[in-house]
Amino acid sequence: MAELTQTQELRENQDVLLEINNLTVVYKSDEEIVHAVNGISFQVGVKETIGLVGETGAGKTTTALSIMRLLPERTGFIEGGEILYNGMDLVTKPQNEMRMIRGSLISMIFQDPMTSLNPIMTVGDQIYESLEIHNTDNKTRQQLDERVNELLTLVGIQPRRKKEFPHQFSGGMKQRIVIAIALACEPQLLIADEPTTALDVTIQAQVLDLMRELKEKLDTSMIMITHDLGVVAETCDKVAIMYAGEIVERGSVEDIFEGKQHHPYTEGLFGAIPNLEEETDRLSPIDGLMPNPTDLPSGCKFHPRCKYCMDICREQVPPVYLEDGHMIACHLVVKED
Amino acid sequence: MEPLIRTVDLKKYFRVYGGMLHAVDGVDVVINQGQTLGVVGESGCGKSTLGRLVLRLLEPTGGQIFFEGKDIMAYDRKDMKQVRQQMQIIFQDPFSSLNPRMPVFDLIAEPLVMNRIYKTKAELTTKIYELMEMVGLADRYINTFPHEMDGGRRQRVGVARALALNPKFIVCDEPVSALDVSIQAQILNLLMDLQDELDLTYMFITHDLSVVKHISDEIGVMYLGQCVERANSKELFANPLHPYTKALLSAIPVPRLRKDVRHQIIRGELSDPIEPEPGCRFANRCDFCQEGCTGTNIPLKDQGNGHWVSCTLYQ
Amino acid sequence: MSKQADVQTATNIKRPKRKSQAKEIWRRMKKNRIAMVGLAIISIILLCTILADVIVSYDYSLEQNMDLRYAAPSGDHWFGCDNYGRDIFARVIHGTRNSLIMGIGAVVVGILLGGFFGSITGYFGGKLDTVIMRIMDVFNTIPFMLLALAIASALGPSLTNVLIALMISMVPYYTRVIRASILNVVGQDFIEAGKACGTPTRFIILKHVLPNAIGPVIVHATMSVGTMILSASAMSFLGMGIQPPAPEWGSMLNEGKDYMLYAPHLVIFPGLAIVLTALSVNLMGDGLRDALDPRLKD
Repeated sequence: MAELTQTQELRENQDVLLEINNLTVVYKSDEEIVHAVNGISFQVGVKETIGLVGETGAGKTTTALSIMRLLPERTGFIEGGEILYNGMDLVTKPQNEMRMIRGSLISMIFQDPMTSLNPIMTVGDQIYESLEIHNTDNKTRQQLDERVNELLTLVGIQPRRKKEFPHQFSGGMKQRIVIAIALACEPQLLIADEPTTALDVTIQAQVLDLMRELKEKLDTSMIMITHDLGVVAETCDKVAIMYAGEIVERGSVEDIFEGKQHHPYTEGLFGAIPNLEEETDRLSPIDGLMPNPTDLPSGCKFHPRCKYCMDICREQVPPVYLEDGHMIACHLVVKED
Repeated sequence: MEPLIRTVDLKKYFRVYGGMLHAVDGVDVVINQGQTLGVVGESGCGKSTLGRLVLRLLEPTGGQIFFEGKDIMAYDRKDMKQVRQQMQIIFQDPFSSLNPRMPVFDLIAEPLVMNRIYKTKAELTTKIYELMEMVGLADRYINTFPHEMDGGRRQRVGVARALALNPKFIVCDEPVSALDVSIQAQILNLLMDLQDELDLTYMFITHDLSVVKHISDEIGVMYLGQCVERANSKELFANPLHPYTKALLSAIPVPRLRKDVRHQIIRGELSDPIEPEPGCRFANRCDFCQEGCTGTNIPLKDQGNGHWVSCTLYQ
Repeated sequence: MSKQADVQTATNIKRPKRKSQAKEIWRRMKKNRIAMVGLAIISIILLCTILADVIVSYDYSLEQNMDLRYAAPSGDHWFGCDNYGRDIFARVIHGTRNSLIMGIGAVVVGILLGGFFGSITGYFGGKLDTVIMRIMDVFNTIPFMLLALAIASALGPSLTNVLIALMISMVPYYTRVIRASILNVVGQDFIEAGKACGTPTRFIILKHVLPNAIGPVIVHATMSVGTMILSASAMSFLGMGIQPPAPEWGSMLNEGKDYMLYAPHLVIFPGLAIVLTALSVNLMGDGLRDALDPRLKD
């Protein structure tokens, strides 16, 4: 109950760390334009974790890369909107300033721990390096070394193993090291892109546990990108469901998991997962496929796959229905009102 | 009734740096006609190796495999080719299991042509259209290359290839783990419908416990090359016995709000079973480890109800 | 046509016409302009080979005219004349045949033999792999030129023997390239998928392995055509290859190099011919590799 009031409070008294307004991102190549993110808006409060949920091609990772300003230079462009971090717009920041922000204020954890570590550097050196780059208050070598030990202890690895190379660690251990590097400079915002997808369930449980523990300890805000609603339920305060580059539903975890009204896509996602606690003879998959991002459908992007599709859905972009912080973009919900 | 497929003490060792890796170490599989056996385990537990051994795609180091009561280990290449028509496999990664240079027609035709099933091109074409319809693949895809299709459609091609020879038994090696959830459900439904229609028998290999519960009649849990627990699907989820199974079940993130979530975390990680000592291979991570867990191998023991477990807590 | 109609009425089911594989490759190739330029040049060169006697008679390329020694290019002698007063244009045209046979022939045979050994070693591995690769290593330790020279001198100087020498020196190289390329493909699931549905090994190699391994091989091949022409000319220069006065680009270069400073056309034209050939084969090879891969977007 205490937690519930806390989120409630936050909703009213928004202490906002990151605010994204109407962000639009495209990938351009000679022949085609991929509309990866189409005008999304959401906020991340201080100490808050927001889950970005969606399937392949929903635009989750593109959103994260836009915040980090790490979109591929020649093809990826932020076409519009703003990314306000503590009030400053990251979209217009020059790259050299972004370089200082990345790693110190905002860090990112990538999906595959096997490829995000340098195989020929000891793990200690890799953590040390990220500390050294952002060492603005001239800490001594010894102080930095101590911080490396501290970080390793934090993520549950014995500091004496810092002289070892990544291949000497198992998958779960490597992801812990990646987390340690991301946390090295005590960032205010951590973006985790499918941090546990490459891991086995028992190891996933360990890493999720660690992340929950760290969140309580460190006051870090977090954007958790995942396709797994189970992971969301366990780690997030707020959830945004993405489909074809848009946020179709957004709200607190309670809204998403226990709310009365949902976007048909959210319903579809829940129906498609086999339930461990109930007996179902048949899954109810969402018909059809993700739309082609170079040629998105008119009106509601989900209408070709929606079982409640109405005429209006084909023609008009659905209005946003908002109640008590729970946002749904669907004609159906508005009509019922 | 003789089960469709049965293995006795199936073993596969690989020579690696540091000794013999016991990838599969004495596993007995029994699957009755029309049933699905789910094989669950984490990466490195030998489940994929087991799937290939059962089909003799890999040559076992030891043990016997009976298909319809006949020992196929004694078969030569020609007999094996005959029996393999009855036993097929669906692969995990629909991106690497289809030859990128072949269009759908050629991909589905391969098993038919190579086993000389049809004499005329027209017969072959008819059969291919039939198979495509069966797996829900629209006619217009017949000349499409794999890279032009999404993961779900590619996996449908994989299923069509497996069905081409009218097999009785199909090993499904993580057929949905590379797919998005909504597509995953489509393929799972397809596999279940096909099973009803064609009276297929599956060995369903996966690391995803919710999927395995959904599709299996019986489930075997593997840990480091050995089967540690085997039971009816409902029974296993309702009443897991082995500490590893318990931990595995508790580790799944459930898409439902539970404020007091605390996973039962198991320490450490899997190691490779290179020259393992006799005894329980889970012992070093187990909270209930006691005397007798190490030193001697612990056999699977029936706890009644067809629930078998290999653990000293239940001997 | 009527046969197809029969089939259709008999079953009423027919696979929709797909553009044949070759047409499809040609269509993709056509989109690549640079590759088409390469193809055009190669075609012209090949035409020159075929029509050499129509363009200018062979005897004319051997005819010496001491009055015209080192004559600069003019209306009568387009490319000028060489140190014996022979018409360089005629010699370049007639040299095409010899040079192309050496360059392309050596590479083609190298690929065929290398492909055979490479497929076997790459696909089967094991002891066979070790044995064949160690033999190839032995060949590799002998410097390429030395090996070719040794073979040519053992067999006696002639066009065929130079060709044999070049081929043999190419085989270990291609075995290695093709083996590496095949090892990449063999690890993929569709090979196992082929085995699982009963495809015999020879078909697996021919239909699954080789088509997917061919890309890098084509690039290597086109790059070595130029090298082979030059190696062949070097052999001619050392007296192991084509015997003078038969025209061949390499030997023309070698003969002309002494007079390069005051009669540069002696080396410019045969040199250009070699460069053009090598370049066009390279361009075409690049395009061909892309056209053969259906995965590349068109």
